[in-house]
Amino acid sequence: MSEQFYYFLQQILNGVTIGSTYALIAIGYTMVYGIIGMINFAHGEVYMIGSYAAFFVLAGLAMLGIDSLALLLIAAFALSIMITSAYGWSIERVAYRPLRGGNRLIPLISAIGMSIFLQNFVRLAQGSRDIAMPSLITGGWTIGPADAFNVTLSYMQVVIFVVTFISMTVLTAFISKSKMGRACRACAEDIGMANLLGINTNKVISITFVIGAALAAVAGVLLSMYYGVINPYLGFMAGLKAFTAAVLGGIGSIPGAVLGGLILGITEAITAGYFSSEYKDVVSFGLLCFVLLFMPTGILGKPEVEKV
Amino acid sequence: MNKWTKTAAGVAVSLALLGSSALANAADTIKIAMAGPVTGPVAQYGDMQFTGGNAAIEMINQAGGINGKQLEAVIYDDACDPKQAVAVANKIVNDGAKYVLGHLCSSATQPASDIYEDEGILIITAASTSPEITGRGYELVFRTIGLDSDQGPTAAKYIAEQVKPKKVAVIHDKQQYGEGIASSVKIGLEAANIPVVAFEGITAGDKDFSAIIAKLKKLDVDFVYYGGYHPELGLLLRQSKEKGLDAMFMGPEGVGNKDISSIAGEASEGLLVTLPKKYDLDPANKAVVDHIVAKGEDATGPFVWTGYAAIQAMAQGMKAGKEDPFELAEYLRNNTASTVMGDLQWDSKGDLKGFEFGVFSWHKDGTSTQKQ
Repeated sequence: MSEQFYYFLQQILNGVTIGSTYALIAIGYTMVYGIIGMINFAHGEVYMIGSYAAFFVLAGLAMLGIDSLALLLIAAFALSIMITSAYGWSIERVAYRPLRGGNRLIPLISAIGMSIFLQNFVRLAQGSRDIAMPSLITGGWTIGPADAFNVTLSYMQVVIFVVTFISMTVLTAFISKSKMGRACRACAEDIGMANLLGINTNKVISITFVIGAALAAVAGVLLSMYYGVINPYLGFMAGLKAFTAAVLGGIGSIPGAVLGGLILGITEAITAGYFSSEYKDVVSFGLLCFVLLFMPTGILGKPEVEKV
Repeated sequence: MNKWTKTAAGVAVSLALLGSSALANAADTIKIAMAGPVTGPVAQYGDMQFTGGNAAIEMINQAGGINGKQLEAVIYDDACDPKQAVAVANKIVNDGAKYVLGHLCSSATQPASDIYEDEGILIITAASTSPEITGRGYELVFRTIGLDSDQGPTAAKYIAEQVKPKKVAVIHDKQQYGEGIASSVKIGLEAANIPVVAFEGITAGDKDFSAIIAKLKKLDVDFVYYGGYHPELGLLLRQSKEKGLDAMFMGPEGVGNKDISSIAGEASEGLLVTLPKKYDLDPANKAVVDHIVAKGEDATGPFVWTGYAAIQAMAQGMKAGKEDPFELAEYLRNNTASTVMGDLQWDSKGDLKGFEFGVFSWHKDGTSTQKQ
C-alpha cells in the first residue's frame, strides 16, 4: 500500500475523531431545537463545564491517591455527567422556561446571555489560564512502514470512537423504545397536542436539556483527556462547530447531527491535509452554505414530519 | 427608605469619600498606568510585566521617589484584546495618567497607541515586538524590547548555522505577532538556502492539529518554526509527539513560559526559544531579584526586566525635570538610560539601539538554558 493511501487513512481517522465529538455536542443543539424550536447557544459552555467537572474529579481522586484507570474513568464520566446535567437542567429552568411561549427571539438572546455568563463565571472562579489535564490513556498503534509515513492511532482515539458509538446507541434506544422517548417524539411532532393528551411537556423539555448536557459532558471528558488542556473559552468554538454540524445534518434530526458532525470533521481534516489548514474553516463553512442552498433543511432534516 | 436604597446610599457615600481621598493624593504622586492582560490566555506575560513595573516603582519610591513625589501604579486589564485595549486607553486618558507601561500584545498596543499619541501620553511597551508599532512616525511611543524583525533573523541565523535542518516547516497563528515573525524567519531561511517546504497558518484557539501534523510528517519535515503563543505550540508539541512527528521545534519569546511545559509535558524538552537575555542572572541586578522574590513573585520572566527598565527610563527622565510627556520623549531619544538591562539608547522611531535576543533551549520543568 502506498504512502498516499496511508496519508489518506490518517486524515480520515483524524477527521472521524474530531467529527465524533462534534456529533456528541451537536445532539444537544438538535434535540432542543426539535422539541421547542429554539437554539440553545449556551450549549457550548455546557460542554466546557463538562471538561472542568472532569478535571476536578480527576484532580480530586488523584489527591486521594486513587490511580486505578477504570475507577478514574468511571468516576470522571459519572460525576461529570451528573454535574453537567444539573447545569443543563438549571439553565433551562432559569433562562428559558420563564420566557417560553413568547417571541422566539427572546429565548435566543437569553441563551447568548447565559453563554456569556457561564464563560465568565468559570473564568472568574477558575482563572483564565490553560489548565493541563493528566493524560490517563497514552500510547497507541502504528500502522504501516516504520521508515516511511505511517498511520498512528492512539488508544485515546479508539476510546473516543467507542464511547461516542455507545452513547449514540443508548440514546437511539432511549428515544425509540422507552416511554419517555416516545413522549419526546410526541413533543417534537406537536408540543401543544402532546400537552393536551396528558404528556407532561415541562418534564420532557427538562429531560431534553439533561440529555443534551449529559452528552456534552461525555464530549467534555473525552476531549479534555485527548487534548490535555482546558480553558474557559473552549466552549465557544466547539459550540459553533457543533451547531454547524447540527444544521448541516438537518437541525432537529439526531442521525443528522451524527452525520453532520462526521462530515464536518472529515472535511476539515481533508482540507487541512491536502490544501492548507488556513482554509479549513473556509471550506467547512462554505460546504454548509452549499448544502443549505440545495437542501435548506440540511441533509437529513424533514421539516414538520419527524424532528426527533 | 428601604434596605436597598440604604445600601445604595451607603455605597455612594463611601465611593464619594474614596474619590475625594484620591484627589487629595493626586498632587504629590505621579500616576503611571500599567496596561496588559490580567485575564485571558496570555495573562502570564501580563504578570511578568506587572511584577517588573511594580518592583521598579516600589524601589524608586523607597529611594525617595521623583524629586519628592511618589510614583503610583494603576493596573488596567486589556486581556490582550485589541477592542478592550482601546477601551482601556480611553479610560487611562480619562483617569489622567500621562505615562503608560504597556500594552503587552502587539495587536493591543497598536490601536491603543493611536489614542495615546493623540492625547499626549507617553507609552513604553515592554513586550510588543511588532515593527509597525514604532513604524508610524509617532513621537511618544517607545519600547524596551527588540522587534520581530530582530527576532526573526536571530532565529533564522541560528537554524541555518547551528541546526542545519533538511526540510523546514514554518507555521503561524495568523495574528500580527505570529505571522510577522514567521514571515521574517521564512525569508531568513530562504536566503540561507534552507528549504521551507510548508508555510501555513493555524487558527488561534484551535485544539486539534492532527491534520497539519500528519501533513508535516508526510513532507518529512525535521524542523518546525512556530510563530505565535504558547497555548497552540504546547498542543502542537504534544500532538506531534503522540503522532510520531520527529522534528525539532522553535518559537519566539511568546512561547517561552512555564505553561508550555505543563501543556506539552515531556514534548517541551529541547524546544528552542528566542528570548531576551536573562537579566535575573546578572549579579548587578541581585537587589531587584531579592526585592521581587521577597514579595513571593517570580523574577525569571523576560518581561519582568523589560518592564522594570521601562519604568527606570521614565523615572530617570522625570528626575531630570522632564515631566511633560513630549519633553520626556525628547529626553529618551537624546540620552542614555541606565537600567537593569544595561545602558539603553533609543533611535528616532523609539526602538532600542542594539537590542539582541538570545537562543535558549527549553526544558520540560519550565526552565531554560542559553544556547547562544
